[in-house]
Amino acid sequence: MTEKVKVRIDGEVIAATAGQTILEVARANGKYIPALCYMEGLSAVGACRLCMVEVSGVARLLPACTTPVQEGLAVNTSSPQLESYRKIAIELLLVERNHVCAVCVSSGHCELQTLAQDHGVTYVRYPYNFPRLTVDATHPRYVLDHNRCVLCSRCVRTCAEVEGAHVWDMAGRGIQTRLVSELQRPWGESTTCTSCGKCVQACPTGAMAEKGWGVEEMTKKRAVVSRLSSIREGQ
Amino acid sequence: MMIQDFAAFSAVREAGLAKLLPGKPRIAVGMGTCGSGNGAEAVYHAFSSEIDARGLAVQLVPVGCFGFCAEEPLVNVWVPGHPLLMLHQVQPNHVDGILNGLGHGHLPPPEIVLCKIEEWDHLAGHVKYGTGYSDVPNWNEIPFFDGQVKIVLRNCGLINPDDIEEYIAIGGYQALYKVLIDQNPAGVIEQIKASKLRGRGGAGFLTGNKWEFLAKAAGPEKYLVCNADEGDPGAYMNRNEIESDPHSLLEGMMIAGYVTGASKGIIYVRAEYPLAVLRLERAIEHARAYGVLGDNVLGRGFKFDIETVEGAGAFVCGEETALIASLESHAGRPRSRPPFPAQKGLYGKPTNINNVETWYNVAPIVAKGPAWFTEIGSPKSAGTKVFSLVGKVQSTGLVEMPFGTPLAKFIYDIGGGGTNGRDIKAVQTGGPSGGCIPADMFDTPVDYETLAQLGSIMGSGGMVVMDEDNCMVDVARYFIEFTHSESCGKCVPCRVGLDKALRMLNGFTLGTATDKDIAALDELCRMVRDTSLCGLGQSAPNPVLTSLRHFRHEFEDHILAKRCRAGVCEDLALSPCENSCPLHMNIPRFLQLYKEERVEDAFLSVILDNPLPASTGRVCQHPCDNRCRRAAVDESVNMRDVHRLIADEVLLSDKFDTMVGRVLERRQEPTGRTVAIVGAGPTGLTCAYYLALLGHDVTVYDSRPAAGGMLRYALPEYRLPKAVLDKEIELIERLGVKFQFNVNVGEQLTLNDVGQQHDAVFLAIGTWKEAWVYLPGTELTGVIPALPFLEAMSRGQEVPVGKSVVVIGGGNAAIDSARSARRLGADVTIVYRRERNDMPAIPEEIEAAEHEGAKLVYLAAPHRIVGDKNGQVRAIEVVRTKPGEFDTSGRRRPVPTDEVIRIACDTVILAVGEKVDPDFCAASGLTIKEAGTLEVDRYSLETSRERFYAGGDLITGASNVSNAMGIGKKAARNIDRRLMGEERVANLIPDFAYQMEPPETPSQSGRHVPGEMPAAKRVQSYAEVSLGLTVGAALEESARCLRCDVRSVES
Repeated sequence: MTEKVKVRIDGEVIAATAGQTILEVARANGKYIPALCYMEGLSAVGACRLCMVEVSGVARLLPACTTPVQEGLAVNTSSPQLESYRKIAIELLLVERNHVCAVCVSSGHCELQTLAQDHGVTYVRYPYNFPRLTVDATHPRYVLDHNRCVLCSRCVRTCAEVEGAHVWDMAGRGIQTRLVSELQRPWGESTTCTSCGKCVQACPTGAMAEKGWGVEEMTKKRAVVSRLSSIREGQ
Repeated sequence: MMIQDFAAFSAVREAGLAKLLPGKPRIAVGMGTCGSGNGAEAVYHAFSSEIDARGLAVQLVPVGCFGFCAEEPLVNVWVPGHPLLMLHQVQPNHVDGILNGLGHGHLPPPEIVLCKIEEWDHLAGHVKYGTGYSDVPNWNEIPFFDGQVKIVLRNCGLINPDDIEEYIAIGGYQALYKVLIDQNPAGVIEQIKASKLRGRGGAGFLTGNKWEFLAKAAGPEKYLVCNADEGDPGAYMNRNEIESDPHSLLEGMMIAGYVTGASKGIIYVRAEYPLAVLRLERAIEHARAYGVLGDNVLGRGFKFDIETVEGAGAFVCGEETALIASLESHAGRPRSRPPFPAQKGLYGKPTNINNVETWYNVAPIVAKGPAWFTEIGSPKSAGTKVFSLVGKVQSTGLVEMPFGTPLAKFIYDIGGGGTNGRDIKAVQTGGPSGGCIPADMFDTPVDYETLAQLGSIMGSGGMVVMDEDNCMVDVARYFIEFTHSESCGKCVPCRVGLDKALRMLNGFTLGTATDKDIAALDELCRMVRDTSLCGLGQSAPNPVLTSLRHFRHEFEDHILAKRCRAGVCEDLALSPCENSCPLHMNIPRFLQLYKEERVEDAFLSVILDNPLPASTGRVCQHPCDNRCRRAAVDESVNMRDVHRLIADEVLLSDKFDTMVGRVLERRQEPTGRTVAIVGAGPTGLTCAYYLALLGHDVTVYDSRPAAGGMLRYALPEYRLPKAVLDKEIELIERLGVKFQFNVNVGEQLTLNDVGQQHDAVFLAIGTWKEAWVYLPGTELTGVIPALPFLEAMSRGQEVPVGKSVVVIGGGNAAIDSARSARRLGADVTIVYRRERNDMPAIPEEIEAAEHEGAKLVYLAAPHRIVGDKNGQVRAIEVVRTKPGEFDTSGRRRPVPTDEVIRIACDTVILAVGEKVDPDFCAASGLTIKEAGTLEVDRYSLETSRERFYAGGDLITGASNVSNAMGIGKKAARNIDRRLMGEERVANLIPDFAYQMEPPETPSQSGRHVPGEMPAAKRVQSYAEVSLGLTVGAALEESARCLRCDVRSVES
């Protein structure tokens, strides 16, 4: 898979390798496409739908994170419609759970918060769901707050693909979908968790955090996970 | 018996034929899930024990379903040498008679004989049953089957699904055998490609192309998957196909297996279909035992096996990548494509997934060739599609029709049209991911492309018909509720977007949404459609988006008028009767008050809801009757005649003055605002009455010398005695309404003058212009329009009517004219161009006209009127019409024939409709619609000029009294709100304390109808025909009400 192809992103001709996704090519060339569930080093799942782009000749919008490039592909990363849809998606994420930045350890370092700021989401047009959700603080070092979870599954993939433990998974359907640890046992009682903490580093919001930090204090070392993954792949 | 060569194959076929056409009678009971659910098991056992008990030589077998669900249980009876008889609605008590007849060559009782089949084309084989039974219609002469082309359902309901020998007898596994002998896989793929067979699961991808991808994919391990995870509510064609004919599915998969190089087939079938699973497993077992499936298929060295996997009921597992995940024991969640299953499918191996029905088309295409297949259907969509026609049609069931058949054919011809005379509103195609197509688009041909253009989809072939009782907002809400709970939760638009859409739709059904929500819902649904990961999310918004496109007014009604016309959204309606009443009378309240023998309170309740209760009690079209839930027990409550009696008891008695006083007590403080009303018909009077009650100073202008409009000048005395109307108008006058008669607004008084003198103006001049048909002879003496005729009659003037009269038309004016002419002693014939059921007049009135001796000629259109040399009418010639195709109103279009009938007559009354006076509209300077009516805002009723409102027939075109009054009432509410800045109409109603519990024992008696003067006597006079209910009957009738208005009872 080293075939070189030329693609056009927002009018600019860019050299890429066949098999790379649109998102990978764009990021490698400094082109911004928003994404939340995508993380370098993890498999792409196309769940957040923020990276939808227009591809000429294709009537439908396509997710940049899972669509491979091919010779001659021409991509539009932004348009009034895409912007409107991205805004809606961000608003939907904000109303789905109880995101209260003022009391969040990740405020100021939160990918959802950044996305909202970047896309001018200063208010939401949909009523809040205000679900009653739990906080799992059973693990000695980490805490999982479902109120802040966006179900991006980055923790699931990090644990399964990088650490190889597969502690995390998704349970339930639709709006009732919940992140669960090991057969729905509390995190602290998990027998497979190695307490490596990579899931916490991968989490884009304050849903997973190290204990002991106050509001705005938790910064995450996402690059660690990506770097680990690329080292492993290199082996 | 292992089939390893052709001799063995032939032997099995002979054995099968001996079972299908034994030398003795054969009785086959339709025992699909549908038949069993309707009692087929009991019928089968009754046959079985009776045959045993009598020691009869009769072969009894279970078969699948022939598709006519509304007529289950279906039973086939065949006697050697005779046609196959199809019996319907067979019950165990019929068994005796059927068996008795068998021995003596008698037919079963006629009420259970549906049709006969003389021979049947199984496509790969042909069965000749025999000829005879000349009185029994052929199967395709039954409207439900007429036009159906059975390819997929070729064997369903005719062969025993549990017997592989019967399948082989009708040509089964021949196509497979041929493919194995020919050894030309690429040729078969070319055949499938040339046939243009498209995936029947909904997306419509070309099957041949998919097979080619798989054939070209590398690797020894490839999989074929049959998607039998049929999850659309209301769709059950796949279940029936598998239950009735499992081997056709196996054969299709095996052919594909051979030509694509796959060695394993998996049928992913819903666990909710236990009978289908059972029959499939038995079929697989038999196929293995006969050497049709296994290591050496039919002795041709081909290895193929099939297994079933039961799906656990997740709707999303119908999506192919989720289905694969489920097969691999993962949670059923879709993943992004590419890679496509043909590249990387089950266990990472190349995989091809086709819907059940797609597989059923394979063997016939191989057997009969692609050219045969492409001749059926439309150019882009070849072949047939099985639809499950369900919902509000008379005949429901599985219907296999060629692509390109118009929707009208399904709904009106095959389905038999609406149930209980209801008008059909829409059809929802494609299940929860499909869209709603309105009735005025039923000329749409059904194929993948045209449905997509309308925003719907073919889907798996669900067709849910909806009538006026279905609320399109609620329908959209229902489907979103379904897809929202079936969303896998992986991607944001589907998981959260559908949840939000559902909450917004709930707001519409509760009436709490705002007008901004329509645009917001539309935008959100587009986002979900355009950005969701899989087909579920991408198509889930279709019901909402199509409803917003075709039924936006219903969404608006819910939030702007707080009304659900269908009466489904309970928070927006008191009871079905109240909801259907154009005046929204609180019907349960007056019935209860009357039942409590509080006549005066009952009257007050009635009169505060409806200022002309005695008149409407006589002439209303009573839509309440059609909605009454008592009709589910026996017959609807006769609400109209009860309020007529309540009104008569007061208006025509010495209670009148007292009650005028009680109404006056409800009048609000004078507001100092003045309103002008132009037109003293039912609309104007109603508006005037409410505005006066609300304390405004009201003046009504009318060009005629008295109030009442059509009620006075068009309705004959025998239907509405003027003395009754006079009392109602007197009450309105005593509330302070001022009348200015003989004033023609627009001539003596300009609209500008009226506008300057009043704070608001309401225009309600009605439709006084007779529509005219242009045909030769209308200039002759003796041709008269209906309205002037009726007006002259009611004014007691002389009318130019001769001895024999022909009335053209089918509306109430036509019937009134005919009955009036009868009273003048004329012979009367009514000529109508459509069928009787299509006549817009009240059915009771048509009947009454007949009783009074009027002759009715249907399906006849006027051709010309013939005159004598003096220019006097001598006869009318009418052309016989025949019912043609259904038009978008759901009625058959009359098509002229060559037959011309001449009816001798000296008078022709034209009653073909009324319209708005165009001169008035033109002079008003207000915006006029194309139909000639005034344009107003749908909700405020304001015209293009501020403070000028319009209502009644002037905005709707000719309608009826209660509709007109309903608009008058709405206008009063809107004008008052505009003048006073608040909602005040509810203040008029006092607190009537009355029992708010449903009756423990509602009256058991049937519906009471008023007595009538005998027909012979009534044509002699103008006295009222209806005698009204007696007090006893009305009391009994009010006790029949089930009190749908009671929501909760404290225990």
